[in-house]
Amino acid sequence: MDPGILGLVSSRLEADGSADEAWATLVLAALGGRDAIEAVLAGRGVSPRAAAPRTSPVPVGAFLQSITVEGFRGVGPPQTLELRPGPGLTLVVGRNGSGKSSFAEGLEVLLTGDSLRWKERAAVWREGWRNLHHPAAALDATFLVEGESAPCVVSRRWEAEAAFDGARVAVQRQGGNGSDLASLGWTAALLTHRPFLSYNELGSLLDEGPSKLYDALSSILGLEDLVAALDGLQESRRCREKALKETTDARGRLLERLRDVDDSRARQVTAVIEGKEWDLGAVEEVLAGVAAGGSGTAEVDTLRGIASLEPPAPERVAAAVSEMREAAAATMSARGSAAARSRDAAAILELALRYHAAHGDGDCPVCGGEGALDGRWSARQGEVVTRLREAAREADAVHARAEAARRRWEDLAPLKIDALKRAAGVGLDLGELFGALGTWVEAGGISDLAKLADHVESASGPLGEAVVRLRDAARAELGRKEGAWRPAAVEVAAWLAGARDAVRGAGDVKRLKSAEAWLKKAAAGIRDDRFAPIAEKAARIWDLLRQQSHVELGRIQLTGEGTRRRVALDVTVDGVEGAALGVMSQGELHSLALSLFVPRATLPESPFRFIVIDDPVQSMDPARVDGLARVLETAAEDRQVVVFTHDDRLPEAARRLDVAAEIVEVTRRDASVVELRRALDPVGRYLEDALAVASTADLPGAAAARVVPGLCRLALEAACMEVVRRRRLGRGEPHAEVERILGRADGLTRLASLALFDDVERGGDVLPHLRREGSPAGAEAFRQSDEGTQELPAAAAVELVRQAGKLAAWLRGRA
Amino acid sequence: MTRDGDPSVLLDLADGLLHRADPATAGLWPRVSALLALQALDAALRGLWERRALGLQGCSMQTQLICLRSYLDDAGLAARAGHSASALHRACHHHPYELAPTLGELQDWLSVVRELIREVAPAGRSS
Repeated sequence: MDPGILGLVSSRLEADGSADEAWATLVLAALGGRDAIEAVLAGRGVSPRAAAPRTSPVPVGAFLQSITVEGFRGVGPPQTLELRPGPGLTLVVGRNGSGKSSFAEGLEVLLTGDSLRWKERAAVWREGWRNLHHPAAALDATFLVEGESAPCVVSRRWEAEAAFDGARVAVQRQGGNGSDLASLGWTAALLTHRPFLSYNELGSLLDEGPSKLYDALSSILGLEDLVAALDGLQESRRCREKALKETTDARGRLLERLRDVDDSRARQVTAVIEGKEWDLGAVEEVLAGVAAGGSGTAEVDTLRGIASLEPPAPERVAAAVSEMREAAAATMSARGSAAARSRDAAAILELALRYHAAHGDGDCPVCGGEGALDGRWSARQGEVVTRLREAAREADAVHARAEAARRRWEDLAPLKIDALKRAAGVGLDLGELFGALGTWVEAGGISDLAKLADHVESASGPLGEAVVRLRDAARAELGRKEGAWRPAAVEVAAWLAGARDAVRGAGDVKRLKSAEAWLKKAAAGIRDDRFAPIAEKAARIWDLLRQQSHVELGRIQLTGEGTRRRVALDVTVDGVEGAALGVMSQGELHSLALSLFVPRATLPESPFRFIVIDDPVQSMDPARVDGLARVLETAAEDRQVVVFTHDDRLPEAARRLDVAAEIVEVTRRDASVVELRRALDPVGRYLEDALAVASTADLPGAAAARVVPGLCRLALEAACMEVVRRRRLGRGEPHAEVERILGRADGLTRLASLALFDDVERGGDVLPHLRREGSPAGAEAFRQSDEGTQELPAAAAVELVRQAGKLAAWLRGRA
Repeated sequence: MTRDGDPSVLLDLADGLLHRADPATAGLWPRVSALLALQALDAALRGLWERRALGLQGCSMQTQLICLRSYLDDAGLAARAGHSASALHRACHHHPYELAPTLGELQDWLSVVRELIREVAPAGRSS
C-alpha cells in the first residue's frame, strides 16, 4: 500500500473530527485490505500498518538511447534509431509505410509485450507482426538509467517459428541481469504513466466513453488503494447484508416448516422468531431442552415424568406382605406370654409411680389398701418396674416390628399426585389408575396387620397394571412428539448457527456504511486535490493547441464513482456552455486527448523520462501543428520527446518557430530495408543530396547532370516557400490562406516571384532582380536549376550546387 | 547512348536506386529516382516525336501527354502515363509538407514509364 495514502486518510480523519468515530478504525483498516476489515469487526485490532504491504522495486528514471528493430512489422534487416539520451525533441519523419511506426510499436511491444493499437483490431492485424522479408525477429532498446553508469539493454527475441507471445526477454542492467521485465520496476508505471501515445490511441481515448477515460486518467493519481479500500468495505457490508437476507429468507421457510410440527417446542421457537427481533437465546434453550417456564415445554416434561413411572415391584410387594404376616404372627404368639405380662405390669406400675409422684402418699386407687402408697412403696416398686421392663423387652420388639410392617405398603407405590394431575392436561386417561389407587390407599384404614397384608397383596396387582398402562401411553405420546420435533429441531439448529452470524454481522453494517460514506467523500477530495495540477497543465496545453478553434476548455474534473465515474469536461463552443464532445472535430478531439495525456506521461513520479508520440498531427490543421510544436518544445524542456510523424508539417513548424528539434528521416527500400538519416531542413537536405550526386554517388556523369539541377531546383523551391511562409505568417495571415497561395505558385519561377515580390505573377522580373540584387552567378544557378542543363561536367555540377546553396541562403534572408 | 540519353538507361538507373541498400544514397534515392524517371519519360517522348518528325519536343509536358493519346494505340497506357508523369513531376518539385515518394509509389510510376518506353521504342530495338 502507498503509505502516503494512509497518511492522507488519517490526517483527513483528524481534520474533520472523525478520528474518534467508531467507524474510523474501519476506514483505516480498509486500506489494509478485507482481512484487516474483518479483523477489526471481529474485535481483533489489526493495525492497517501491520497489513502486508505491496512492495515493488523502486522505479528507475530512464532516457532512451536507441531502439533497434529487426524483422518486425515494416522493418526487415536490423535498423537502429539512435537518440540523444536526454531532454529534447526528436522528430522521426517518414511517409506512411516507411517503417517509422515500427520503431514506436517496437518499443511498446518490447516493454509491454503488446501494443494497444492492435488490441481493437482483427486477429489478422496482430498476426502480421513479423516482417515477411526477414526471418529473424528481434527488438532491442537501450536506456540510460539515472544513477547507473552503464546503459540498460532490454531485448525481446523470437525464434524463426515462434509465436508473438513466445519471445525471449532479456534485461541487461548494471548490478545484475535478468530475464524479467518486472525487475525494471516499470510494470505499474507502464500502465499509469504510459509513455506511448499513438494516433489510434488518441482517437480512441475519447471514443471509448467517459468511464474509460476516467480510468485512464485516474490511474495516474495513485488512488487504486482508495478504490480497493472502498471495494473492501462494500464487500464486507454486502456479505453481511446478503447473509442477513438469506437468514431472513430461511427464517420464512423455517416458520412454514414449524407450522406443520405438532409440538410445543415448535410453537415456542415460532413465538420467539416470528417478530422483527429474534430471541436466539430462547431458541437455543428450547433446543437444549431447558424448560423456559412456559406451558409448552412442561407438557413434554409431564410426559417424560409419567413415562418414567414404575409399578410396585412384585418382589418388594411380596417381601412387604410376608413381613406383615410374620409380624402379625409374632404379635399373636407373644400375647399371654410372661414377657407380655411383665410389659403390661410394668405399664401399670409406671402409671402408679407417676400417680404417687404427682399426688403423694395415700391409699391405693386400685385395691383401696389404706396408706399403701408411701415412700417405701415407691422405692420398692421402682426396682420392680426396672425388673419388669427388662423382662418385657422381647414383647416390645414384637410390637415395634408390627408397627414397622404396617407402614411398608406406603413405600411400594410412590406416586406424586401433582404429576398425575398434570397428566390429565396432556391428554392421558387416568381413570383406571385413579380407580386402582383408590383401592390401594384403603390400606391406610386397616388396623389388623394380617388383613392389611391381604389387602396389599390383592390391590398391588391392579395398581401395577394401571401404572404400566399409563406409562406406556405417555411413552407413546412422547415418541410421537419427538418423531415430529427432532428433524425440525435439526433444521432449527442449522438455521440458528447462520442466524447468529448474520445477526452479529448485521450489527456491523451501520459502521461499515458510515466508513464507506466517509471514505467515498474523502476519496473524491483526494482525487480532486491530486488531479488539479494535471487539469491545469492540460488546460495550458489545450490553449496552445486550440489556436483558432471555437472550442474553449474550462474545468476538467474527475467525478462520480463506480459505474457513474466520468471525466467532466467543461467545453464551451463560441461562448455556449455545456457543449458535448460531439461538436468537436477529429483534430480537436486529438488535441484534447494530447492535452490530457501529455501531462499524464510527464508527471515527475513517472520513471520514464521519455515520451513517444506516434503521428499526432494527422487530422490537425497547420495552425494547430504550430501549437503542437510549442507543446512539444515545452515538454522537451525536461523530457526526451520522440515524435513520429508522416509528413513535413511538424518539422516545418518546428524550424519556422525555432523549436530546437533533431529530425530523423525514415525511408524504406525494397525488401523492407529501412534507412534512417539525420535530416537538415529541406533546403539543406536537397543541397546535400545534390552534392552527393554531383561528387560521390555512383551515378554516371550524364545521369548526375540530369539529377543535380533538379535537386537544386527542389532546394530553391523549398527556400522560397520558407520565405513566403515566414513572412506571411509573421504578418498574421491565416495558415489556410498562406497554404492556398503556396499551392497556386507551381514551379520555381512563380515561387521565386512570390518570395521576392510578394506577387506570384512577376516571374519575368525574377532573373533580372537576381542579377541586380544578388549575383550573376546566383542568377545563372537559378536558371540552370529551373531549366535543367544538357551538359554538366562533374566540377560544374559541384559548382552549381555551391551557387544554388549561396542563392538559397540569400533568398532566405529576404523573409 | 544518344546525346539526350537513352530512356531505358535512365530508367534502369532510377530503378536501380530502389533495389539496392547503399549508405551513400540513403534517403536521397526517392527524389533522385523520381528525377531520373521523369527524364526517362521525357526522353522517350522526345524520341517518339523526333522519329515521327512531329516537332513537339519544345512543347510542355502536358501538351505532349495530350498528344500522346492520339499516337498510342493503347488508350489505357496513355492515361496511366499521364498520371505517372504528373506524379513524377510533383515529386520533382518541392511541395508544402510533402515528403519524398515511397518505394511503392515509385515502383508503380516506373513500371508505367517502362511500359511506355517499350511501346514507343523504334522497331528492331527493345530495352
